[in-house]
Amino acid sequence: MSLLSIVSRAASAGLKEPHRGRLKRMVYHDAGHGYDPFGLHPDAVALGIRITAPLYERYFRVQTHGIENIPAKGPAVIVANHSGTVPTDAMMLWADIVRNSDPPRIPRPVADHFVPMMPVIGTLFARGGMVGGSLGNARVLLENGDMILVFPEGVPGISKHFRDRYHLTDWRVGHVELAIRHGAPVIPVGIVGAEEQMPQIGKLNVKLFGAPFLPITLTPLPLPVRYHILYGPPIPIPELYRPDQADDPGVVREAAARTRAAVEALLQKGLADRKGVFV
Amino acid sequence: MNPPAAGLKGVLITGVDTPLGESLARSLLADASVGQVLAIGARPPEEALPFSHANRLTYIQIDLLKERRIKELLFGPARDLGVEVVIHTALSASATEEGKRVHALNVDATRSLLKLCERHPTIHRFVLRSSSDVYQVQADLPVLIAEDHPLNLSPGAPQFVRDRVEADLHACVHMGLSRLQIVVLRCAEILSPGTGSQMFDYLQSPICFRPMGFDPMINVISLKDAVRALEAATRAPEQGVYNVPGADTLPLSETIRRWGRLAIGLPGAWLTPLYRWRQRFRGHDFRYGMNRRRFHYSGVLDGRRAREVLGFTPQNAVDWPG
Repeated sequence: MSLLSIVSRAASAGLKEPHRGRLKRMVYHDAGHGYDPFGLHPDAVALGIRITAPLYERYFRVQTHGIENIPAKGPAVIVANHSGTVPTDAMMLWADIVRNSDPPRIPRPVADHFVPMMPVIGTLFARGGMVGGSLGNARVLLENGDMILVFPEGVPGISKHFRDRYHLTDWRVGHVELAIRHGAPVIPVGIVGAEEQMPQIGKLNVKLFGAPFLPITLTPLPLPVRYHILYGPPIPIPELYRPDQADDPGVVREAAARTRAAVEALLQKGLADRKGVFV
Repeated sequence: MNPPAAGLKGVLITGVDTPLGESLARSLLADASVGQVLAIGARPPEEALPFSHANRLTYIQIDLLKERRIKELLFGPARDLGVEVVIHTALSASATEEGKRVHALNVDATRSLLKLCERHPTIHRFVLRSSSDVYQVQADLPVLIAEDHPLNLSPGAPQFVRDRVEADLHACVHMGLSRLQIVVLRCAEILSPGTGSQMFDYLQSPICFRPMGFDPMINVISLKDAVRALEAATRAPEQGVYNVPGADTLPLSETIRRWGRLAIGLPGAWLTPLYRWRQRFRGHDFRYGMNRRRFHYSGVLDGRRAREVLGFTPQNAVDWPG
């Protein structure tokens, strides 16, 4: 048994209510030994809840708005802005859905290819539900009725310069192509706070442990900004598009512009409503 | 949907002196709808099969490296027995054996069999036991491996892999061009000796070293399920390529634990020389370099096509000794 399995089991045993009860209600596809084919294990989800709890509750003091927009079941694509130099925005969004969605669901973050190549991190994240960023992985999850979590900005988003905060970078279109093909609604999410957590002023093209660059930041660690996670109403992709339109570049671009506008609107609302970066 | 159990007059099995071939022969003999079983192996009859069947089993020792012998077999005893299906399982099981003779068995024998079966008066189906070794496993490819997943065509791949890919592709190329119905089964690793399983050999040491920080998902199949899949292929409603996953999908660390071994994580760069040393001085077959990627990244066969077309779903978990 790996060290990760032992720690995960201990974390699961020590998980308190309401999370213990919620974890039991979460649905996943057990491929026979307690793991799903991608490596997800409920004990590791428990570990994820416990690891992220201090960050979620005390450091970033996450405030969630509109979690009821997460569908109770069926395939869905959650799209959010990506920022902050280190992927704590993804961790907090994952934690927010795991802790608050009703019924409880496990989102499946779709990570860039380099993440599975990172020792320890790649395995830990896979146990919590992450999958590598190939269309094949996302397709299987959606066909199984899972909910995938996509950051269409990708690495350029998380590595954006501080001056570009809250400006969405290139908005990749793969997420809507998948949503159209598999008849999944898209749930837009705006994450406010992460864009200021670790101001990035440059980057070195040094590849370390599979990471695509080495950031130059004003702070060595993320600042204790307050996170606001805003979920918008689902964009009813199956009502707007036919599955065969997934092969039409014009339609896909138009749908992607729709999801981008929805995320931008949530960011603007979040920025307007918050009282400050740290409060 | 399960195909109807139509009777088969005769089935020819190659590689019957391996655990897989032997189990398949036993299973077909237990099936009353199968008439004759023509078992082909490289060993003398007295060493090949630990069982006999007076009326329905014929064992013939043949060197598959010689096309003339194959021809005499197919157009002699096979025709006389009315063989309708050929199940080709004879592949070199060792990753360390290389060279022309190995290639001749792995590839040329498959080619000869196919060519001769095409003009055979009674044979109408050819089943090739291929393996998951033909697939590429890497971080940017899907974890669930469908039949259209990229094959390992890397020029740096060892002969063990190259031969398997070549034999598999050769059979695939013939589909539709031949009057034969061709079925290629890409089986998950069978955790059993003599089946060409690198994982089985890896698990023979009391301590199994794995790359530190990585614990990929793998899938293994029991001998029983592999036999069931081959039997299903004899009556497949349509030809094609099918992945045959096993009932056990689990992390590498859990595989080691269930086999009763101790897993120790080491820096990946140490493992190639370590296992080369094991291979050289302890006579083991496992080559870490060949398995490096799948010891880092998950790769699990997607058996949806086999389930939908062949009616095959894995039912028998590996008999874990640990």
